[in-house]
Amino acid sequence: MTRRAPALIAAGLVALVAIPLAGCAATPTPSPVATDEPVLENCGFPVTVAAPPQRIVAIKSTSIEMLLALGVGDRIVGTAFSDGPVPEQWADQAAGIPELAPQFPSEEAVLALDPDLVYSGWESAFAPEAAGDRAELASLGVASYVSPAACRSADQPTKLGFDEVFREIAELGAILGVDASGLIDEQKAQLAAIQPDGRGLTALWYSSGDDTPYVGGDIGAPQMVMDAVGLTNIVSGVGQTWTSLDWEAIVDADPDVIVLVDASWNTAASKIARLESDPATAQLSAVKAGRYLVVPFAASEAGVRSVEAATSLAEQLARLDRA
Amino acid sequence: MTAAARLAARLAPRAGASAGARAAVAAVVLVAALLASLVLAIGVGAADLAPGDVLASVLAHLGMGTSPLDPLRDGIVWQLRVPRVLTAAAVGAGLALVGAVMQGLTRNPLADPYLLGLSSGASLGAVSVLLLGVAVLLPVAAFAGSIAALALTLGLAGALGRVTPSRMVLAGIAVSSLAGAATSFVIFWSATGDSYRSVLGWLLGSLAGARWPAVAIAGGALLVVGVPLALSGRILDAFALGDATAASLGLPVQGVRWVLLVASALLTGALVSVSGAIGFVGLVLPHAVRLLIGPRHRPLLPLAALTGAVFLIWADTLARAAFDPRELPVGVVTALVGAPVFALLLARRRSAA
Repeated sequence: MTRRAPALIAAGLVALVAIPLAGCAATPTPSPVATDEPVLENCGFPVTVAAPPQRIVAIKSTSIEMLLALGVGDRIVGTAFSDGPVPEQWADQAAGIPELAPQFPSEEAVLALDPDLVYSGWESAFAPEAAGDRAELASLGVASYVSPAACRSADQPTKLGFDEVFREIAELGAILGVDASGLIDEQKAQLAAIQPDGRGLTALWYSSGDDTPYVGGDIGAPQMVMDAVGLTNIVSGVGQTWTSLDWEAIVDADPDVIVLVDASWNTAASKIARLESDPATAQLSAVKAGRYLVVPFAASEAGVRSVEAATSLAEQLARLDRA
Repeated sequence: MTAAARLAARLAPRAGASAGARAAVAAVVLVAALLASLVLAIGVGAADLAPGDVLASVLAHLGMGTSPLDPLRDGIVWQLRVPRVLTAAAVGAGLALVGAVMQGLTRNPLADPYLLGLSSGASLGAVSVLLLGVAVLLPVAAFAGSIAALALTLGLAGALGRVTPSRMVLAGIAVSSLAGAATSFVIFWSATGDSYRSVLGWLLGSLAGARWPAVAIAGGALLVVGVPLALSGRILDAFALGDATAASLGLPVQGVRWVLLVASALLTGALVSVSGAIGFVGLVLPHAVRLLIGPRHRPLLPLAALTGAVFLIWADTLARAAFDPRELPVGVVTALVGAPVFALLLARRRSAA
């Protein structure tokens, strides 16, 4: 059984039963082969967008919220794999957008909505057993786009910074034919207003995991946000956005504060309970003093809420007593 | 003197004095290796602690002297490393022992501790807790799952008529597949966000969560069930000659088989509940020990247990240290390191023959 475990996982993880239909009835437009259409590279995949997409399937909260922030919620024909409720500021715009699937939808379910763009916050959405292979979607006239910060197969940012996040917003604005400069300027102003903590505190970004914690690594959104608020990540040199970490390494580093990712399936409260109940981690200074910062899961992934995450962490940090 | 003992005595000269001597030497070497491994492995970890300080800290907890480490680092030694190394030893010993017993009971060289659906049952129990939020402790659910799988397997085998080794194996395959499918379904249905990670760690087997309660469960099961099991070698030697011969020696074949099976299953269930389904140890280590000391179960069972303890201590140490500060699931290491070592043993034996 053990030896079959990875296969079990693989089988279990993929969302719905996908039947790759080569010649699906929902083919809306002929294959885009015209030479004068704009082509951009996205995770190493050439994306062709003939006209600003009007029927968008958005997968993962990062992509759903990005579209809402750009004010094109009315173009979303279906959402999938939402990580939590939409923040209040966009709730009105999001009301009435149908949810296609709680996790990855099948390719057929996506095609049935007759979309012209599938936009995902995770590259793994574009698999035959999920929303479909990107080349196959393209051949059916459906463009695909992955948040560039989430690229893994190619063009993963070597070290994510807010400039890259803003570039992503601008790139998406260009694809959608909307002016993103206002949103970007607003975010830049918010970012500039953040007062980094000057106390030289170290931090652990605790995302999930019990026996083996899964924590913020040194090249992705967690590192970017921690840099912005003046926290030093206890993880360095792993070259990963997120990474598994040995509890022993965490206890040895004894971080000054712990950033807890709050997700409905793995709440900040459950992580605090875990830290306090394990005799080894209960000894951590941050645990003993209750120096926790909380960030919602959807804001912990790179995107339009990264600045908000940094602002919130800076505020929470300012409220903490001197370490 | 029991019938089985007479039989074993009769078998002994044929097995040759050299095998007996080799077993005795192996026992001495393995006990020494186990003690050395326990001490050395506790000195290894992601935190950079001086071996002398680690040793002093352990001794302090055993009532000798005071610990030179601050409470945090003392916690690393006593709350993380010591229970983990002890759990690794207990789980390794138990898995290798049960593997050897299962291979003897079923006369099937491919038998392992999970043969009767135990690991898939335990996985189903664990995944139900991890993903569905069933409100019981994970080890309890895993243990319940493995025992339910065992009951199902034995019930199915019994329903087919007399319980024979091949019927048990086939019933085990059926139950494994069913529980495996149910596990996949639970994962498919409910894995949200990155919660599948904890499931993956569990399905591959990991000792990362081993603390003192795990030592109590695995160590307790090893003492209560494992020790008597390790002393059952003579009975298995009689079984090796076939049911009819064993019965003619006065052994109540069916009854003894049930007792050994259930004991093995209880031990496996306890081990799986703290470590997940660690592969390879129970399947291959008994064969490796057989290659060195011959097929007789009387020396095989205790020696396989000792070898399993030493092997899993080092496999887990490698899992902790190889990619420090990250960690590999130990199940990956056991196969990755164990398979080539086993291949080497096979090749050596071939050239020696």
